[in-house]
Amino acid sequence: MKLILFYLRKLFAVLKNEVLVLPSRVAVIIFFLFILLLPLFTDDLYVLRVFTLASIFAIFAASWDLLSGFTGQLNFGHALFFGVGAYSAALINLHWQLAPWLSIPLGALIGVAAGLIVGIPALRLKGTYLALTTLAFPIIVTGLVFTFPDFTGGELGISGIQKLAPTRIHEYYIISILMLGLCTIMWKITDSNTGIIFHAIREDEIAVRASGVNTTRYKLLAFCLSGFFAGIAGGLYAHFMRIAGPSVLEISLSFMVVIWAMFGGAATIYGPIGAVFFLYPLVEFMHVIQDYRTLMFAFVVLLVLLFMPDGLFRWLREKIETECPRCKVRNIATRDTCRICTAPLD
Amino acid sequence: MSQAFLEVKELTKKFGGLTAVNDVSFSMERHQIIGLIGPNGAGKTTLLRLMTGILKPDTGSVRFMGQEMAGKKTWDIVNKGMVSTFQNMRPFRRLPIIANVMVACLCPRALKRGEWVKKIEAKAMDALEFAGISDMAKENASVLSQGDLKRLEVARAIATEPELLLLDEPFGGLSPAETDLMAKSIKRLHKGGRFGRLHSEGPAMIIVEHKLQWLMMIATRIIVLSFGTVIADGPPEEIIKNPTVVEAYLGQGGN
Repeated sequence: MKLILFYLRKLFAVLKNEVLVLPSRVAVIIFFLFILLLPLFTDDLYVLRVFTLASIFAIFAASWDLLSGFTGQLNFGHALFFGVGAYSAALINLHWQLAPWLSIPLGALIGVAAGLIVGIPALRLKGTYLALTTLAFPIIVTGLVFTFPDFTGGELGISGIQKLAPTRIHEYYIISILMLGLCTIMWKITDSNTGIIFHAIREDEIAVRASGVNTTRYKLLAFCLSGFFAGIAGGLYAHFMRIAGPSVLEISLSFMVVIWAMFGGAATIYGPIGAVFFLYPLVEFMHVIQDYRTLMFAFVVLLVLLFMPDGLFRWLREKIETECPRCKVRNIATRDTCRICTAPLD
Repeated sequence: MSQAFLEVKELTKKFGGLTAVNDVSFSMERHQIIGLIGPNGAGKTTLLRLMTGILKPDTGSVRFMGQEMAGKKTWDIVNKGMVSTFQNMRPFRRLPIIANVMVACLCPRALKRGEWVKKIEAKAMDALEFAGISDMAKENASVLSQGDLKRLEVARAIATEPELLLLDEPFGGLSPAETDLMAKSIKRLHKGGRFGRLHSEGPAMIIVEHKLQWLMMIATRIIVLSFGTVIADGPPEEIIKNPTVVEAYLGQGGN
């Protein structure tokens, strides 16, 4: 009993001294709680469906950020990983009758292979040339899909895939908890020593090589990790929608993920996730003004990018938090002195 | 069989019609500090880049501690113990200064060596302390002045625990006082006693520099390049009296 109390007290201390002092950390806690408790407030199947899809796309957007935001390898064909994951999971499930918990990881592994295939040309190309090359890959795969309609279902896609879970609530919980877990893993990767090397490769690749780091290995690692997470998102999508068609390889999906990441703030991981949970439901719930939906979407995105070029969530974070000039610890903007070193804040 | 520490043989590099480095050969011992001088465009920086694998030589060989280095990847060469700094500094501007050095501390060579109980951050901090910019460790690299950027370059290079350090204009753009400090740190580094390998000697060095006054203070041997070829090689006292060198720097009839 005493032991439990001890740990509880410790937990409260951490919560009080580390989490509640920073609004961004509070926001993350609120986001976690919101995702986990949403079904308590609504049992509207449509709302749950929108947020389930938003969770899938959040994994997808964060995986783009891991590759292009951090490592600077601009990928304009990210739908390739999503599509390969979706098609692989669908085919594995359909032909080998494997359950979703097996077909989705296998699809993600094929996503890793796709990452390797795209990553190898990326070793020699930079910037816009790389972007154009990556743009071609999903188009090539779409061509392959149409060439072998018996195997891939052609334009109609593959249908009759097993459902992820018996009810919508189950599906919601499986996907949203996976999303929270995978995004935390991605954030942890970018926060580690590997993340520092990813950052450095974006800044100056030659200087990283001259520091003795094998940049080839790290770039391929970034492509594989990104392919893995995007592949999981694709597999979840296939099992949730119960169809894997050519739409998962569309160019619009590739660009959508770029828009999400830029909107939320690239190279942050939390930015793209927040952007998906802001933009995706917004566009969905604007179906009441069906005709102006795309226009409104473009308007919001342009407005944000015009006034907050670093992304909405990074801008918000700068507004509500200040960095201590002496010890570089972040503080809530209302404080006059740093919470660690008591230096005056501007 | 005793091998030369570093042996450069008949190294040639052409850029189109221009022969930047032409048939350069020299060898060096473990204890030397070589000053590499020459007029602008003589091929000094190109020679260093050929040695560290950033550029590939057309012909010739670079043998370092008995192994062929020409044509290898830059990171392999760094992990064998030969590292260079950049003349025009290339920091990761949007990363904190300590992260700049941590990248170098994360190379396989640095991970294997040094005080292994120390965390990467602590190792990076050691290198920064040596270079004298540890007080700014958490600032972004973009706030650094020219002189401090040179120090960051040196910190990043020594964080890989090199055997041979190639410094490309370490005094370039520094004030006389800063140059004095830098020259002293370089001498101290050569003597060793720092950086993990506590009981061993410091790295051998090749220094490309235009500030001859300070270079003569630290270098034990000078190699003079002009139009890609070695025109003189010897101890500093001899070099300043050498008529060919004076001619290359000042032109003919300049008595």
